[in-house]
Amino acid sequence: MGKGAVIKVENVSKKYCISLKRSMLYGVRDIARNTLGLSSHSDKLRKDEFWALDDVSFEVKKGETLGIIGPNGAGKTTMLKMLNGIFWPDKGKITVRGRVGALIEVGAGFHPLLTGRENVYINAAILGMTKKEVDEKFNDIIEFAEIGDFIDTPVKFYSSGMYVRLGFAIAIHCEPEILLIDEVLAVGDMNFRTKCYAKMSEILDKGCALVFVSHNMVAMHRVCKRVILLKKGKVIEYGSADSVCNSYSNEMILSATTCPEIRSPVDLSKVIQINSVQILNHKGSPTSDLDMLRSFKVGIEYSVRKPVKNSYIACHIHTPEGIWLVDSCDVDCNPEFLLHREPGCYTAEVTFPGRLFNSGRYYVSIYTAIPMLDLIFDKIGPMVINLHDTGSVTTKSNPRRPTALALELPWKTTKEDNLI
Amino acid sequence: MSKIITTYEPDNSLKKGYLSIFSEIYNELKKNKWLTYQFFKRDLFALYKQSFIGILWALIIPIVSVGTFIILNRSGVFDIGDINVPYPIYAILGMAFWQLFSAGLVASSNSLVNAGSMIVKINFSKKALVIASTGQSIISFLIQFVLVGILFVYYRITPSIAILWVPLIIIPIMLVTLGLGFILSLLNGVMRDIGNMISILMTFLMFLTPILYAKPKAGILARITEYNPLYYLISGPRDLVLMGKIPELKGFLISSVLSGVVFMVCLVVFHLTETRVAERI
Repeated sequence: MGKGAVIKVENVSKKYCISLKRSMLYGVRDIARNTLGLSSHSDKLRKDEFWALDDVSFEVKKGETLGIIGPNGAGKTTMLKMLNGIFWPDKGKITVRGRVGALIEVGAGFHPLLTGRENVYINAAILGMTKKEVDEKFNDIIEFAEIGDFIDTPVKFYSSGMYVRLGFAIAIHCEPEILLIDEVLAVGDMNFRTKCYAKMSEILDKGCALVFVSHNMVAMHRVCKRVILLKKGKVIEYGSADSVCNSYSNEMILSATTCPEIRSPVDLSKVIQINSVQILNHKGSPTSDLDMLRSFKVGIEYSVRKPVKNSYIACHIHTPEGIWLVDSCDVDCNPEFLLHREPGCYTAEVTFPGRLFNSGRYYVSIYTAIPMLDLIFDKIGPMVINLHDTGSVTTKSNPRRPTALALELPWKTTKEDNLI
Repeated sequence: MSKIITTYEPDNSLKKGYLSIFSEIYNELKKNKWLTYQFFKRDLFALYKQSFIGILWALIIPIVSVGTFIILNRSGVFDIGDINVPYPIYAILGMAFWQLFSAGLVASSNSLVNAGSMIVKINFSKKALVIASTGQSIISFLIQFVLVGILFVYYRITPSIAILWVPLIIIPIMLVTLGLGFILSLLNGVMRDIGNMISILMTFLMFLTPILYAKPKAGILARITEYNPLYYLISGPRDLVLMGKIPELKGFLISSVLSGVVFMVCLVVFHLTETRVAERI
């Protein structure tokens, strides 16, 4: 282990099984082999297995902050769970030095019928605190969580905000030497989030190491010095936050097409295939140069080859900085498709109103997936759209505002004559 | 710099050898004593919180089963056999010891599955969870023992002074419950069939073991009872309370040793394979 390294990950791989029935059999077989003292040969793939993480290596030193970034299904959370020892690697070795605090889901382990006070003790014990530590920190936790008199109320009556605040407060007071965080800061209100960041930097100043998982590049920049870019379980890039985040967004931009129409060749192996995507302006003609004051449409043609449950077709829009603006799904309007989708050819169209986005460049991607399984059938994009300002009210009064949205909202102003 | 160094790699425990397993298990159990107690408290509080008669539910199952047997016996459908104490005392006492095993095993085999969402999000001692889950059956046992006490007063019978040995004499049945609970909770985590199977098996075993009726003197059931360790583990404590001695001492001792072995083997197997369960649960 290198000098000062608190986490060392050496050539780690992890496999998953996509068939539930097989997974059961493999599980029983592995348990039997381990019991008998036989090696489980975990380094080889069996039928229906795939590598969710493949040959990942990195090191985190004391006081260092490492970010893990990557698209959905890249293996970010799996990596975090392995650092925490929830999953064990199938190949390679992970060495962790020091007490680990993990925030993979805030409030996991809360019992709804028990009061906040009872849950604090139980949750803290689960997270590895001793009775003495909880007794000492109990008041700090309650104060940090801003729960007040509700501490003796069953948590099932808590608002989601209170639930999250209490969960985070317990976890952050464990005083870990290594903190693992999985996008939990995306929840909670602004004030509380600011408080969390402050508490985190206080802990980091004491020499705690941090591993942070997110696909939000702004948060990544704010928290981490070094970043790993994961894609399909492999490390694509490992370096400073600036360079990795830049290349992640550059890659998205480079792979983007400026053509308003994409057709993909028939691939019978895909259960759902997106055959074509078209960007149409308000007149219905295909173009990627659009008027921000007018509506535009994204037209999608796709084929379903087998009956599918739980699938959706989604349209994502990102800014060049990687901020995710829209995740709109066909099942929002047609929930029956979520239950069942018959084989056949489908055409779908989603309309974006005018005056929604500000002028500028945006990226449109189309996905078809099963949300629960993190399974992506097909993906097209990103496609570039350029929104042009043809003379909105905002440009008349002042230059382009630095916002992503350009909604015109109704203002109501009244004037009274008497001065106060 | 902290001294706690943890290594995760495939077949980790095997590389360290079988001997180090025992110290690992011991340290883990010692370190997690408070966590075990917290889990126990949580289960106990949560179980009876949204319930009117609360903890008195522990009395319903034995009273209903014993009541059914009394009715069957009086109608001549079923012969309870020769028992030299009032039947309710014999049966309720037997049920109290029996449910240490049955309720304990059902609770422990479901413990990992019930905590599934927590297991995939937090790394904590799963042994503590399984051990704590058998705690409820001990509470039920205590409550049922109060009922037994009331029955003793009602029938004006004085139990043997040997009743004070009860906390020690139930150790074998607790060990076999915990041991099987470890293995079955793990298998139930991978295959949900196990949980259903256990509920059915428990009913079957209860009728197969002389708990609500006297030990049969002849026939196939007599042969089975002869080799049924559960019978000795339950009749031993019961005879001790009622008579102040264990007539079938040899059977009880052999069964006790057997339950100790089952416990140790299962604990080691659980330790070796518990890392497998999170990814399959």
